Amino acid sequence: MSGRRRLGLVAAGATLLAAAPISSIFDSYTWLMQCLLTVGLIAGAAVGARTLRFPAWAQALSMIVVLLFTLTWLFGSGEEFLIPTPSTFSHFAELFTQAGQDTRSYGVPVPDRDGLLFVTVLGIGSVAIAVDLLTVVARKPALAGLPMLAIYSVPVAVYVNSVPVLPFIVGAIGFMWLLVSDNIDRVRRFGRRFTGDGRDVDVWEPSPLASAGRRLGAVGVVAAVLLPLLVPTISGGLLSQLTQNGSGVGVGTGNGSGGRINLFASLSGQLSQTEVVELVRLKTDESTPYYLRFGVADQLTDNGFGSTTPTGENIAQGLPDPRTGTAGGSFAEHRAEVQISDKLQQGMLPVYQNTVGLDGLQNGWYFDDNQQVVYSNRRSTKELTYNFEYVRARYTPALLRQAEELNPDDPIVRRNTTHPDDAAVATLVKQLTAGKQTEYDKVRALYEHFSTRNGFTYRLSTQPIANSSEIASFLQTKVGYCQQYAAALAWMAREAGIPARVAFGFTRGEKDGDTYVITNRNAHAWTEVYLKGFGWIPFDATPAANVPGAARSDFAPDVDLPVPSSTASETAAAPDADPSAAAGGVERPDRPDFSDQSASDSSGSTAGILSGTALVVIGLAALLLALLLVPALRRVLTRRHRHAVTVPRQPKVTSLEGPADIVVTAETVKARADAHAAWDELMDTMVDFRIPIDPTETPRVTAQRLVTDAVLLEEPAAAATLLGAAEERARYARKPLEGGELTVALNRVRKGLARSANRRTRIVAVLMPPSVLMRWRLGLAEASARLVTASGRVRDVLAKASPRRLLPHRGR
Amino acid sequence: MTTPTWDEPGGPMPSDEFRAATSAIMTNIEQVIEGKGATVRLALAVLLAEGHLLIEDVPGVGKTKLAKALARSIDCSVRRIQFTPDLLPSDVTGVSVYNQEQRDFEFRPGAVFANLVVGDEINRASPKTQSALLECMEERQVTVDGTTYELQAPFMVIATQNPIEMEGTYPLPEAQRDRFTARIAMGYPDPRAELAMLDGHDAHDPLNDLRAVTDAAQVRRLIATARDVHAAEAVQQYAIALVTATREAPELRLGASPRSTLQLIRTAKAVAALEGRDYVLPDDLQALAVPVLAHRIIPTADAQLNRRTTDAIVSEIVHRLPLPHDRSRSPYDTRNNSGGPTNQYEPRGR
Repeated sequence: MSGRRRLGLVAAGATLLAAAPISSIFDSYTWLMQCLLTVGLIAGAAVGARTLRFPAWAQALSMIVVLLFTLTWLFGSGEEFLIPTPSTFSHFAELFTQAGQDTRSYGVPVPDRDGLLFVTVLGIGSVAIAVDLLTVVARKPALAGLPMLAIYSVPVAVYVNSVPVLPFIVGAIGFMWLLVSDNIDRVRRFGRRFTGDGRDVDVWEPSPLASAGRRLGAVGVVAAVLLPLLVPTISGGLLSQLTQNGSGVGVGTGNGSGGRINLFASLSGQLSQTEVVELVRLKTDESTPYYLRFGVADQLTDNGFGSTTPTGENIAQGLPDPRTGTAGGSFAEHRAEVQISDKLQQGMLPVYQNTVGLDGLQNGWYFDDNQQVVYSNRRSTKELTYNFEYVRARYTPALLRQAEELNPDDPIVRRNTTHPDDAAVATLVKQLTAGKQTEYDKVRALYEHFSTRNGFTYRLSTQPIANSSEIASFLQTKVGYCQQYAAALAWMAREAGIPARVAFGFTRGEKDGDTYVITNRNAHAWTEVYLKGFGWIPFDATPAANVPGAARSDFAPDVDLPVPSSTASETAAAPDADPSAAAGGVERPDRPDFSDQSASDSSGSTAGILSGTALVVIGLAALLLALLLVPALRRVLTRRHRHAVTVPRQPKVTSLEGPADIVVTAETVKARADAHAAWDELMDTMVDFRIPIDPTETPRVTAQRLVTDAVLLEEPAAAATLLGAAEERARYARKPLEGGELTVALNRVRKGLARSANRRTRIVAVLMPPSVLMRWRLGLAEASARLVTASGRVRDVLAKASPRRLLPHRGR
Repeated sequence: MTTPTWDEPGGPMPSDEFRAATSAIMTNIEQVIEGKGATVRLALAVLLAEGHLLIEDVPGVGKTKLAKALARSIDCSVRRIQFTPDLLPSDVTGVSVYNQEQRDFEFRPGAVFANLVVGDEINRASPKTQSALLECMEERQVTVDGTTYELQAPFMVIATQNPIEMEGTYPLPEAQRDRFTARIAMGYPDPRAELAMLDGHDAHDPLNDLRAVTDAAQVRRLIATARDVHAAEAVQQYAIALVTATREAPELRLGASPRSTLQLIRTAKAVAALEGRDYVLPDDLQALAVPVLAHRIIPTADAQLNRRTTDAIVSEIVHRLPLPHDRSRSPYDTRNNSGGPTNQYEPRGR
C-alpha cells in the first residue's frame, strides 16, 4: 500500500481518537458506532479515490459524497434509498432544529437523540474529511490538529470550568500518531536509511537526530507543566479549585454523577456580565422575603465544592412539609407568583426554601428531598410562569441553640461534613470555635469572622497567593465575592463538624410596585448549615453592603453593623420576640443610613490595600527606571574610565572638575594608549549616534567618512581628523602623535554629532547607548557560543564512556 | 668598473632632500604626461621599490611616452627594445661572439644591460624571447654560455603592452607577469588635459626638451630612503591577509605569490615615502592592491564567464577584508567573531 493511502487510514484513525471527547457528552455509545461507520466509509472512499489516482478535488468530492450517503442512510427520512432527495435535506434541517432544541433542554450527558447524533456524525465526518485533505493532499498534518481540536472544544464549551482530561489525552495521542506517520512517510519517500557503517535502519528506529527532538519535547512538556505552577495567575483565580465542579473529572469513569451546569461558573459569569439582564419577576405576599433558591453544591473534594445530580420524585406526588418534625419556630404560609424571562434557561426551578406546593408547571419536574431543589432533566425554565406556596420559618438564636447534638453516623451528617484537610483552615476554625458549646454558636462564630471589621472586602476579582490552597489564600487576602464567602463558610463549618453546603439562587432584587425584579446582578450563593431538628438554615457571609438585595435573618444578623451584633441578637433572644420587627430591623432592601458606615469601612480598607499596592507599584517603577538607566550609566562609566586612564598624574582636585584632557605624554607607549582609548571612545560614540562602523576601513578613511556622513562642521571635523591621525600614528608609525588634545577633540566630535543627529537618536544615545547594548549582546552571543563548544566537548568525553559502544550490533 | 650592487644602494637622505628630488622627477615627467599625477607617482614608486613596471592600455594613451619620460628624467643608461615576433633572446640578454683578433669568444651585452630598459609592446615577442627577461628581472643578472653577468643598479624594466589587440601577440606567462611589481593603466586623459596636450604637443614633442633631473646615484639613495620606511606589524599582517585572501577566494584559480607580498610592502613603503611619511598605512596597501596584485592572479572559468575582471575581484577583497586589530579593544568587528575565513566573503552588509 502506498504511503499516501496508508496515511489516509492513519488520518481516519486519528480523527476517531480525537473524537473521544464526545464520549463525555453522550450517555451511551451509539454515536461511536455511527462515527466509526462514517469515518470508515470516508477513509475507504479516500483510499479508493487514491487508488484510481483521482486528482485532489475529486478525492475531496468523493469523500463528501460518501459522507452524504452515509448520513442519508443513518438519518434518512425513510422515503429514499441511499440517494438523498429534497425531502432528505428538509429532514436534515429538521434534525438541525431538533438538535438546537436538545442542546437547550438537555444537560450532559445527553441521551441518544436523533438530532444530536446527526450533528455529531456530520461534524466528525467533516473533521475526518478535513484531516484527510490536510494530511494527505496538503501534506500539512500539523494543521490537521485544528479541526481535531475543534472536537475537543465541544466538551470545553459544555463543562465551563472543569475540562475532561482523559479524552484530551486520547485525542492528543491520535494527533501524535498522525504527525509521526507523516514524518515516517516523508523519510520513506526520501529513501532508505542507513547508519554510518552501512547498517540498514528500521522504520521505527529513531535517527540520531531524533534525540534533539526528544530533548526539545521534554523541555517543552516540562515548561508547559511548570510555567502555570510558577505563575499563579494563570490558574484562573482564587478558589477556582475550591469551587470547581468536582464531577467534571469523573466523567467517563462511570460513577453516574454526570456533570450538570457548573453552578459556580454560571454564577460568576452572571455577576461579571457587563449588561444587566432581567431574569425573574416575582410577586409574593411576604413582606420580607429571603433569597430565591434553585441549586446546591454539597460535594466537597480537594477540587472544592461541586454539585451532584439531583434525584427525586415527581412533584406531582407532593412536596414534604418542613413543619412536620421540626423542633420549633414560627411559621408563616405565603404564596408567590413567578414569571421567568427568556434569558434564564436552566433545568432548576427558582423557588423559596420550604416550598410546599407548586402549580402551573408541565409534567417533568422533580423534587430532590436532600437538596431541596426542583429540577427537570428535559424541561427548561425559559419563559415559565408558575405559582408556589411556601412556608417561611423564623427562628431565634435561642431556639436554634436548643438544636440537638448531631449524630455522626447520620447519613446527612456523614455526607455533608466530609472535607479535605487544610491545616490553615483547621487552625482558624479551632481558634474561632474555642469555648463555643452549641452548634449554632459555633456557626455564628465562624459566620461573624467574615466581617469588614476583620478586613474582609467584596471584589469580583480575587487575588491568588502562590503555594497556598485557595481557601487559605482567601482567608488571608480576605478579598472575594459571594462564591468565596459561601464556600469558605461551608468548608469551615464542615471543619467544625457541622453539615454545610453552598446554596445558589437570587437575592431579592429591586421592588417595582409589588413585584420584585431580579436581574443577573442578583445571582448569589450562600451557605446552608444543617441543625438537627431545624433542617437547613441559611447563613449569608458575604458583606451585605456589596450585594444588591441582600437580606439577613435574626439568627444571622449583619456582622458589619456598627453595634456589636452578637450581643444585640443575644439580648433579643427572648422566644416571644416579635419576629416581624426583628426581621424588619435587618431588612436592607433600600439601604438604611448605617450602610454608609459599612461602605466607608470597606472603602477605607480598600484604600489601605491600594496604598500598599501603590507603594509596590512605585517601587517596581523605580526599579524599572533604575534598570533602564543601567546602559546609560555603563556608557558614562566607560567614558570616564577611558578619560581617566589617559590622564597624567595630577592633583586630585582637578579631577573633581570633570574629566581632564587626554594629554599625550612624551612616553610613546603612553601616547599610543591614549590614542587607542580616544579612538575606542570615538567608535562607541559613532555607534551611539548610529553611524555605521566598517571594520575594513582604516582610521583615516573612518575619520573622513565620519566628517562627510555626519556633516561635521569645521571644529568637529578637524577634531575627527585629529583623532583619526592620532590613532593611525599610534597603530602604524614609529612615533605616535604627541601633544594632541584628544579629550577636547572627542567632546567636539560628540557635540558635532549631536548637532547633526535627530532628537530620537540623541536621546537613545544618552539613555540606551547602542554601543553598550551591542557590547552586551555580543558578549552574550560569545558566551553562548563558548557554552555550546564546551557542552560539545563534554558530550564527546561522555560518549567515550557510553556503554552503547559495547553493543554488539555496532560492529556490523 | 665597480658596479654598485643592490645591497649597497647608498645612504638614505633627509626627508626634505628626498621630497625635493622626487617632486623634481614628477614635475619633469608631468611636463610630458599631463593630468596623470597618480599614474606618474605610481611609476616612480615602482622605481623606488626596485620593481618593474608593466603599463597596459589601449594604443595611443602615452604608454611609451611615460616610459621614455621616466627614463629621460634620470641621468642613467637607458635602452629600448621594440619587441617583435622575430626578436631573439640573445637580442635581449646579449650574445657571445667569436673575436677573431683575440681568437676567443667575447660577450656582447644585450639590451638589458642598462639602468632603465624600456620594453615596448612586450607581448608581441615570442614566449622564448619574453622568457629571456625572467632571470634578469628577478635576479638582476644575465647568464650567457654559463657565465653570469651582474646588471647595474638601479635596474628597472618598463614594459608596455596592448590588452585589446590579440592578433599576433603572445600573452605574458604567469611567471613573467609575476615579475612585474605593478601593472598600471594610463587611462584616457580628461578633456582639459587633452586640450593642454593639443596646445603643447602640437608643434613639437616635449619629450625632446626633457632633461635629466637626477642620476643613478641619487636614485640609489632615494631607494635606500624608501627602504627605510617603517612598516608596522599590523600593516604586514594586513598585507599577508590581503594576499591570503586572494589565495582563498573562490573566484580565483591562482592567488598572489609570496613575491607579491614582498613587492606590495616595498611599493607601499615607496608610496609612503613619496607622501612624506616614514610609516606605511593600510591605506597605502589598499590603494596598491589592484596595481600590484591584479595582474598576477587568474580567475576561475566561472568568474571569467561572469566577466569578472581581476581588478574587480581584488578591489572587492579589499573592501571585504577587515583590518587586523585588537579585538579586546573594540568588539565591533563581528565578522571575526566566529567561523573561518569564508566569513570574509559575506556580502558587505551595512
